[in-house]
Amino acid sequence: MSAPEPIQSDEHTTVLETRDVSIRFGGVQALRDVNLRVDQWEICGIIGPNGAGKTTLFNCITGFYEPTSGRVRFRGQDVTDLEVHQRADLGMGRTFQNVGLVKGSTVGENLKSAQHLEVRYGAFAGMFGSPKTFEVEQHTTERARAILDLIDLGHLWDTRVQGLPYGIQKRLEIAAVLATDPDLLLLDEPGSGLGPEEADALGDFLLQIREDFRLTIVMIDHHVPLVTRVSDYMYCLNFGETLCEGQPNDVRNHPEVVKAYLGEDPDAKPGSAEFAAQGV
Amino acid sequence: MTATIPDDTTGPDQSPDDALGATEPPLVVSPAGWAFRVAAMAFLAWLVLLYPSNVLSPFSVPASDANRMSEAVVFAIIGLSLNVLIGYAGQVSLGHQAFVGIGAFTSAYVVTDMTQEVVLGVIVAAIIGGIQALLLGLVSLRLSGLYFALVTLVYGVMAQQSIFAIEAFTGGTAGNDAPRPTGFESDYRYYYFCLIGLLAVLFVDWRLIKTKAGRALLALRENPRVAQTWGINTKSYTLVAFVTAGLFAGLAGGLLAHRDLRVVANPFDFNLALIFVLMTTVGGLRNRLGVVLGSMFFAFLRNGYLIEKLPGAEPVLDFIDLSPEFAPLVIGPVLLLLTLTLLPGGFGQLAKPFTQWLGGGRFRWVPADKEVMITDVRA
Repeated sequence: MSAPEPIQSDEHTTVLETRDVSIRFGGVQALRDVNLRVDQWEICGIIGPNGAGKTTLFNCITGFYEPTSGRVRFRGQDVTDLEVHQRADLGMGRTFQNVGLVKGSTVGENLKSAQHLEVRYGAFAGMFGSPKTFEVEQHTTERARAILDLIDLGHLWDTRVQGLPYGIQKRLEIAAVLATDPDLLLLDEPGSGLGPEEADALGDFLLQIREDFRLTIVMIDHHVPLVTRVSDYMYCLNFGETLCEGQPNDVRNHPEVVKAYLGEDPDAKPGSAEFAAQGV
Repeated sequence: MTATIPDDTTGPDQSPDDALGATEPPLVVSPAGWAFRVAAMAFLAWLVLLYPSNVLSPFSVPASDANRMSEAVVFAIIGLSLNVLIGYAGQVSLGHQAFVGIGAFTSAYVVTDMTQEVVLGVIVAAIIGGIQALLLGLVSLRLSGLYFALVTLVYGVMAQQSIFAIEAFTGGTAGNDAPRPTGFESDYRYYYFCLIGLLAVLFVDWRLIKTKAGRALLALRENPRVAQTWGINTKSYTLVAFVTAGLFAGLAGGLLAHRDLRVVANPFDFNLALIFVLMTTVGGLRNRLGVVLGSMFFAFLRNGYLIEKLPGAEPVLDFIDLSPEFAPLVIGPVLLLLTLTLLPGGFGQLAKPFTQWLGGGRFRWVPADKEVMITDVRA
């Protein structure tokens, strides 16, 4: 957690790039030639109706799925053949639609487990009680506490994740991913289950952590106003293909996007994509 | 930082730290209360450290009983070994008797055929156990759950038929000599030798859980996908768990060999592997004290020892004309069913009120978290 440096807007280093990523499950073409480019310190939004392949794309990027064809590049390196944990080591962090935490463990244990890559000693050194490990462990605990305090949940340290309210679990999940010290954060529906005001606060939070942790963020969400507000660039997927991409407001009002959400002639109800995207 | 994601305070169950009796004032223990607790602790220390060897004791424990205690301590080590595998990593081994058996033969071989110290023999046994687990794990840990258990089962049977029959290593059916270490020759003293082994294993187990590897294991057992995104190499860490279990089992084998003074292949059969799994589960997975107690309990059940000691057991056994040796394989499954249905925390859960009381808390029943236990073994 170094001091935040000002974001240099004229610098365009590509952090994440997918090139013609396609994946097929049996007879279903889940993704077809998806090209994504995310620059450093950018917040990139991905929207699309249910079943459009957004989460599948995340799974290809993070390594849970191997694309049938196409490559994934991360910070200039081809990571298509790397395992999930290797990509995490390179600086990818992600959250899950259904909260990605170890629910049987306490909040504190989760935040310590998440720092796995930061803990620099071998498994057997720890087991046989090497003196260095005691020192490192203390530091790990302190860092976990600092992260928990950052999201104002310090009082929950000894509480089991199981049984905590959903909203709190969502916050904890982001905290846990931040504890892995990622460069790229992939958020899978961080705003699900939140009301309009809460979604607004989440937007502020995302902009804040981008500054504080110097992150590049890719987010999937059905909450189109939220994505539009925080994104610098936006993609819309439909049936596994990129429907359109561009500035958030342009994408949101793009006739094809409106059509994908509403399934009817956009001229009949102009600007109603937002209405549809909120699940009405 | 000021921005936060808002609380979802309208959720179904609000802040559980309040719900779980945080309103109750902490117990202030009176001096008399502490005196009781200290007395209880002193009694337990006496029971573990002095009673088996007749030191400061009004009782006279026969040497055979001291030998039983040593066996119980060795079983506790085996239980902790399986606890690493089943409890932490979520994989079942049904071939653990082979690890213990090979440990026993290795130690006997190092001491008798290579004329080395017993301490060295036991250490070599542990290392061989670890190497065995590493090799078997490299081959079989691409499988998990039931299929991994099957591989270990087959390995156990295979070891019994092949490795145990190598005459140069095991002495064939006659077995091999396994003398006691110098200074621990008597049955009473050998108990302490085993106790040192158990303490070493408890230390390693404690550090395992308190450090990186233990956390990685608990995370990958419950949610491997999340563990991977945190950078945990799930395959490697499952292998680490397996090697640790192998180390413990090899050590236990070595200790068992020198307790019996002679190692033969016969007792290391599949029955024993089942008892090992039973005692660990009934003891209470992921609960160190529970696993130790459960394992000791099953060690005492062996050959009907505990049944014979029960007052009034003899006429009943005579009447139904049953040898008391049936005990572990009948009582075990019954206890297993009870554990799985009613008492997921096993012996550990039963012991919890006592340990809490000893630590200056209330004597109170602690319900186990059933939902968490469901994820124990992945198919």
